[in-house]
Amino acid sequence: MTTSPQPNLRQAAERVLLGNWIGHSTVPSRSLYPHQWSWDSAFIAIGLRHLSPRRAQVELESLLGSQWADGRIPHISFSPAVARDAYFPGPDFWQASTAGGVETSGIIQPPVHALAAWLTHRADEAESVRRGFLARIYPKLVAWHTYLRTRRDLGGRGLVAIVHPWESGMDNSPAWDAALARVTPAPLDSFTRRDTDHASTTDRPTDLDYGRYVQLAATYRDHGYDDSRTPFEFALEDPAFNALLITSEHALADIAEALGLDPAHHLKAAEELTGALGALFSEGLFHARDLRGEGLVDAGTISGLIPLIVPELPQATELLATARGERFGLGRVHLVPSYDLTGPEFERKRYWRGPSWFNTAWLIHRGLVCRGEQELADKLRADLLELAGSTDFAEYVDPYDGSPRGAQTFSWTAALALDLLSCS
Amino acid sequence: MKIACQEQLLPGATLQEKWEFATAAGYDGIELRGKGDRSFRDRLPELRQAKADGVVMPTVCVDMLHFFGAFDPDQRADAIVQMKDELSVIGELGGLGAQTPASYGMFSRRLPPFEPPRDEAGDREVLLDGLRQLGEHAAAEGVELFLEPLNRYEDHMVNRLDQAAELIQAVGLDSVRIGIDSYHMNIEETDPSASIVAQAAYIGHVQLSDSNRFQPGAGHLDWAAFLGALDAIGYDRYLAVECRLTGDPVEAVRSIPAVVRRYV
Repeated sequence: MTTSPQPNLRQAAERVLLGNWIGHSTVPSRSLYPHQWSWDSAFIAIGLRHLSPRRAQVELESLLGSQWADGRIPHISFSPAVARDAYFPGPDFWQASTAGGVETSGIIQPPVHALAAWLTHRADEAESVRRGFLARIYPKLVAWHTYLRTRRDLGGRGLVAIVHPWESGMDNSPAWDAALARVTPAPLDSFTRRDTDHASTTDRPTDLDYGRYVQLAATYRDHGYDDSRTPFEFALEDPAFNALLITSEHALADIAEALGLDPAHHLKAAEELTGALGALFSEGLFHARDLRGEGLVDAGTISGLIPLIVPELPQATELLATARGERFGLGRVHLVPSYDLTGPEFERKRYWRGPSWFNTAWLIHRGLVCRGEQELADKLRADLLELAGSTDFAEYVDPYDGSPRGAQTFSWTAALALDLLSCS
Repeated sequence: MKIACQEQLLPGATLQEKWEFATAAGYDGIELRGKGDRSFRDRLPELRQAKADGVVMPTVCVDMLHFFGAFDPDQRADAIVQMKDELSVIGELGGLGAQTPASYGMFSRRLPPFEPPRDEAGDREVLLDGLRQLGEHAAAEGVELFLEPLNRYEDHMVNRLDQAAELIQAVGLDSVRIGIDSYHMNIEETDPSASIVAQAAYIGHVQLSDSNRFQPGAGHLDWAAFLGALDAIGYDRYLAVECRLTGDPVEAVRSIPAVVRRYV
């Protein structure tokens, strides 16, 4: 035999990334998600850079190939090679395409991209310089952040608002329940879900909530995805989204410096956003603010812990205490649960209502390292690597017993495991 | 993974001199070249002495102009004789095996006259017969035969890994494996890395050259992705450099291990 019958974790992760590569990008999952997703691609690049720096660069470049003229990076870039009805809502629902003819969705996902671009550059600086990677991607990332800070500051407080639960990347989080309840669902016979074709219905959002998702997206679409014209029924400032924007502004400052440009305005943006983020902090945790409801949302979710990645975060000590406390059980349960373990809506298996995700765990790990909490970080890293292997790179896991949920051979799970393996 | 260099690329008059250069440059082995007219068999005393002097020679690659898939039956028969020599000699040296394409430079469906004189069924019959004879001989010698897919301009019968794997399945001998070559794969495979993973069970040997057939590092092949795929399947044998050289030939050969070692 020339090949190992039982691949080790690194080899298994590499196989997932090689298997899910489609020539210019990586599908999150061959079964459940057959197109290119925005924040998935960013997390994937963070791991793919260890396997092929060039592929990691192409992953981000191809995603930015579907950037709109207004600067937004749509949350899905549809593959023309996939049947139009393979995923719902597909291109026929969104009715959106770039000037270059790439069909996309019209909503967005959290801005992890500049961080991913910087880390990808760092993986092989010679290859990056040879391909002009940073020079080509920097203006696009600047346009993306400019879109967010100008068109999406719907509350006028200097924070970015999301206008659809899917924009958070944490689609079914209890943080969106109250805001979503105000939305009249699209009739159930007006669409056909495809997300439950390959995943258990008990794990996925309910049909009623799905009808509300469809209605919100249709309203945005029917107003031409114009942020100034759309009567957003759903508009919230999400802590994780804004924390990732801050982290990515710091990354843009690094990129600007590497290109010999002035990083000051990125650092200023990061500082302003960090200041504004403080208004979302209450009782030891960051909370989403409902711009159409009554201020801060009660629900405590993983989103509220993600600001741990923000450099020089004034609330870091209290936030860390919350992470370690009974609500999130950091170090005592698997990874970091997506929702308060003691909360009334906690469900250990349902999508974003309790289970633990690998990407949020990776972000918390980065935050712990950044804060010098090495012991906690090491424990989380070991748990992530163990679970990635034992679940065959599950999309998410039960926080109590670590059992796999959702898709398997999930790309960002493999990518982020590879990253932690490579950065040990 | 270990790195080998084909003997004709190495400076030096003898295998011992070539080995001295190779080890200093970071190579772990020398891939021999097997010429015709029983000359490889006749090199056995030289090769035995080289082995006794510590030269590591894991593989041999055929170096003739007719092959076991030839249209001409006499050429086929001779190629089988020569390849059996190569398998026997490399077995005696304690090596892994011998590499051959189905043919080289005999016919291309992409060049005039476009239609070969033998139909596909005829090709298949010849290939299966040759692989069976050579596979059985390899098994008897405790080594393997590596079937190398070539690009469409150099061979009309076996261009991709999946074609080689299908023939190997049909032959049903563990002693026949695929000898992959990065240059040909860069032309023929949709995604070379994905093909490596897909045909992992059949890959027995690897030859390296860049997208332009020059030494690794001189072209635009994504070596990280190519060698990363070999790592992913747990390939732990030799990466044998078989390439043309650009720039100063000695420096070019000396540069290769450092390029490859970045990724393995």
